[in-house]
Amino acid sequence: MGTSAVSAGALVTLQELNPSSSNFKQGASFRVTGKLQEYNLETAVATIVDEGASLKVDTQYLKLNLRAGSFYQFIGELHIEPDNEAILKARVGRNVDGMDLNLYRQSLQLLRQFQDEQANMFSDTLRK
Amino acid sequence: MNGLYNTHVKLLAFDFVALSPNPKDQSSFFRNGALLSRAEAVGVVVTRDFKPGRFLRFTIDDGTGCIPCVLWLNQLTSSYFSKRSPTGVRLIADVALKVSSQIQLGVVARVRGRITGYRGMVQITVSDVVLEMDPNAQILHWLDCVRLARKCYNNFSNKGV
Repeated sequence: MGTSAVSAGALVTLQELNPSSSNFKQGASFRVTGKLQEYNLETAVATIVDEGASLKVDTQYLKLNLRAGSFYQFIGELHIEPDNEAILKARVGRNVDGMDLNLYRQSLQLLRQFQDEQANMFSDTLRK
Repeated sequence: MNGLYNTHVKLLAFDFVALSPNPKDQSSFFRNGALLSRAEAVGVVVTRDFKPGRFLRFTIDDGTGCIPCVLWLNQLTSSYFSKRSPTGVRLIADVALKVSSQIQLGVVARVRGRITGYRGMVQITVSDVVLEMDPNAQILHWLDCVRLARKCYNNFSNKGV
């Protein structure tokens, strides 16, 4: 069957969005999670941080009350600026205060492993 | 008929969109040989198309893919409901309308319903929706899906038809 018209926000940690990463692609869709470090009211650009990495997020299309120190999750497209700095143009966002971030990171690894496993299982079935 | 047929199977989006239609029966779909008719999914609402009195079409994104969903809002005018009690139909219509107003961009929704095909895509025709307020709900759903696929659903593959 066909695929959805909207791209899913691939699950990544902020550390995985550095310029040397294969994820660092213009227009790619991601779901990112981090603590709000700062927010510029004039530009609606937020900076989120997680485990030493940071990312700018353009929140101009969101109706969200952002508070420094709270945790947020955003889904949007990565825009790479000429100076190689990335900014996520968020389509949706939500407050995730109370999320178990260790469980979240471990679950991302488990999900990737599971997706690989399923892909191998289905391709084995097709070969039979 | 297999043991999963009438169960709301918890599926990740990448798994859900890979379901293939059963050529012998429009109301069922195959997952690696196992026959399914209902699904449950959890994700962030990322698109919303509201047609008053007709339907709310929306998409949920669970991080592994996107699942199109349709919530019908035509209970008061559809002939499908004409033989049912008017009070019951009105109640269903009221609930559907209330839920449709809660499904807004950015909320996390747990959706259950029938697996259906529409314009070459597989979708959920929604029978019930719960908005998840717990920030860990999505994670717990991922873990449920992985555990159930490994321990249960994959055991039905290619032997449940």
